[in-house]
Amino acid sequence: MITLHEVSKTYTVSKELTVPAVRNVTLDVARGEFVVITGRSGSGKTTLLSLVAGLTRPTSGRVLLDNVDVWRLPDAEQSLLRNRKVGFVFQFPSLLPTLNSLDNVMLPTLFADNADPAQAKQRATHLLEQMGLSDKLHAYPRQLSGGQQQRVVIARALMNEPQLLLADEPTSDLDETTEHEIMGLFREIHQQTGVTVLLVTHSAELGSYGTRSIQMAGGEIVAS
Amino acid sequence: MKLIRLAISNLAGSSFRSWLVFFCSALMAGFVVSGTLVIRGADSSLRLALERLGADIIVVPKGNSQRLETALLMGIPAHMWMPDTVVDDIRAVSGVEAASPQIYLSTLRGAVCCSVPEMFLIAYDPDTDFTLKPWLEKNLEGGLALAEAVGGSLVFVPVQDGALLVYGTSLELKGTLEATGTGLDQSMFFTFDTAFKIAEESSDLAVKVLDIPPRTVSSVLVRVGMDQDPHQVALAIAEKLPNVTPMETSSLFQGQREQILSLLNSVVALLGITWLLGMGLTTVIFALAVNQRRRQIGVMRALGARRTVVLQSLLMEAGLLAIAGGIQGIAIAALAIYLFRPLIVRLMGVPFLFPGFLPLAGLGLGALALVLVGVLLAAAIPIVRVSLQDPAISMRE
Repeated sequence: MITLHEVSKTYTVSKELTVPAVRNVTLDVARGEFVVITGRSGSGKTTLLSLVAGLTRPTSGRVLLDNVDVWRLPDAEQSLLRNRKVGFVFQFPSLLPTLNSLDNVMLPTLFADNADPAQAKQRATHLLEQMGLSDKLHAYPRQLSGGQQQRVVIARALMNEPQLLLADEPTSDLDETTEHEIMGLFREIHQQTGVTVLLVTHSAELGSYGTRSIQMAGGEIVAS
Repeated sequence: MKLIRLAISNLAGSSFRSWLVFFCSALMAGFVVSGTLVIRGADSSLRLALERLGADIIVVPKGNSQRLETALLMGIPAHMWMPDTVVDDIRAVSGVEAASPQIYLSTLRGAVCCSVPEMFLIAYDPDTDFTLKPWLEKNLEGGLALAEAVGGSLVFVPVQDGALLVYGTSLELKGTLEATGTGLDQSMFFTFDTAFKIAEESSDLAVKVLDIPPRTVSSVLVRVGMDQDPHQVALAIAEKLPNVTPMETSSLFQGQREQILSLLNSVVALLGITWLLGMGLTTVIFALAVNQRRRQIGVMRALGARRTVVLQSLLMEAGLLAIAGGIQGIAIAALAIYLFRPLIVRLMGVPFLFPGFLPLAGLGLGALALVLVGVLLAAAIPIVRVSLQDPAISMRE
């Protein structure tokens, strides 16, 4: 499903200063895997996830999603691929503050061609109910707890029935109980839908939730 | 959910910034409309007044040119007399095609025998007239009979009087001329015979006798031949008749025209400053807005929004504010100019004509389009920059 071939990413801060975030990474992730990428802050985990998703252009190397070189696609096709195939859960609060839960979950359909609004609403409602938020359909992000917000984000990530779910530190702002609840939810989604999951976390302890664990340090994969 | 709903909800979410751009748009549109209304209103007023005169040259007794201009512009009655022999003398000047005399009168102030105080009255000679004739033929199927009159756009028959009383004589108002915004709108036109009838009856019906000196006229309207230069004809009249002043209508209201020109310069300068400030402020506001919403933009890109969709969504926000603010600014500016037009006339010393609905609607739409383009251009600079950024970079900052 995912192939990274000798991928490197270097950020240019100024003419004199460049920061290598990912160094020469080669990685294959098969369809249906639940890969947990662990590593300390600054180890290149988030950049690796962005490279997989086509959110940042690699300095060198190739990123293939279902054998399609993501960075050879024009912007419109790349966006369509993200919209149809990839679901995102971010580390930071990523709900649009001016939209309620239902509208936030339906947001990806706004960018899809030929989305049926009635069907989208039905699916968004169903997903929120699955997340235990049936009473929060019309609540705004500010009216939700951190855990509830992250559940809405997960529902949004699943809206277009993606083949790949990318999660960047999805539990970093949550307390321990909620953290395990959310991780359990990821495992449940993976088991029920068979979606490929790539989850980044700084907590080595959470590696046990996946079917495979990768450790990064200094922009390289040090253990797999 | 549609993109427009997302744009509206984003605008509602940052009300202070939205109000600022709304205010800038209103200001920009308001200045365009008010500036254009004032300049165009003054200019078209003068142009219509000149068209109404319908002559190439107006000959008045020497030293009365300024008084006539004031009378025509502001409707302040002017009395001037010269022997009626000048009419034939003028006709005899080479290049003169037609010459028609007029007599200038006015109603009395505070007298029951006159419906309207101090109204400028213009009596014309129906046998030689060429200025009112085309209008009369078109609108009244012929000329005015005895005791009939036509008035400027502001002349009406007072309800309590039932007729227009001029020195006690009842006149029937047969028609109303189109508005010019000048003193002609408050003036009334009738034939020489009606003027003499009023004068004759005034000794019995009015508190004061209307005195028209025998065998005199107030002015002579001159039309020159097809290939004649009005300036040369005016010089020839002045040379032949030293006691009169021939006024070329093309150079009438020169003072007012210069005033309009200087006003136009001020308006253009003010517009330039307002637009520069408005667009600059809009750029800054949108730069701040997109900077604060970089993450949100990154998230939208990650969820599959194409670069053009992000661009469209943010420009839609700018466009909505420009339209809403623009409409508000246009409405307020037009209403203010309409309500305060007497003040504008007084302050500027030039006549003013408020346009009809269609030209006003055209101006409003034009101003709205200008503001829309201006705001979109101003907002586009930061919006394009952020939309070109890698989503991952947007989300990191």
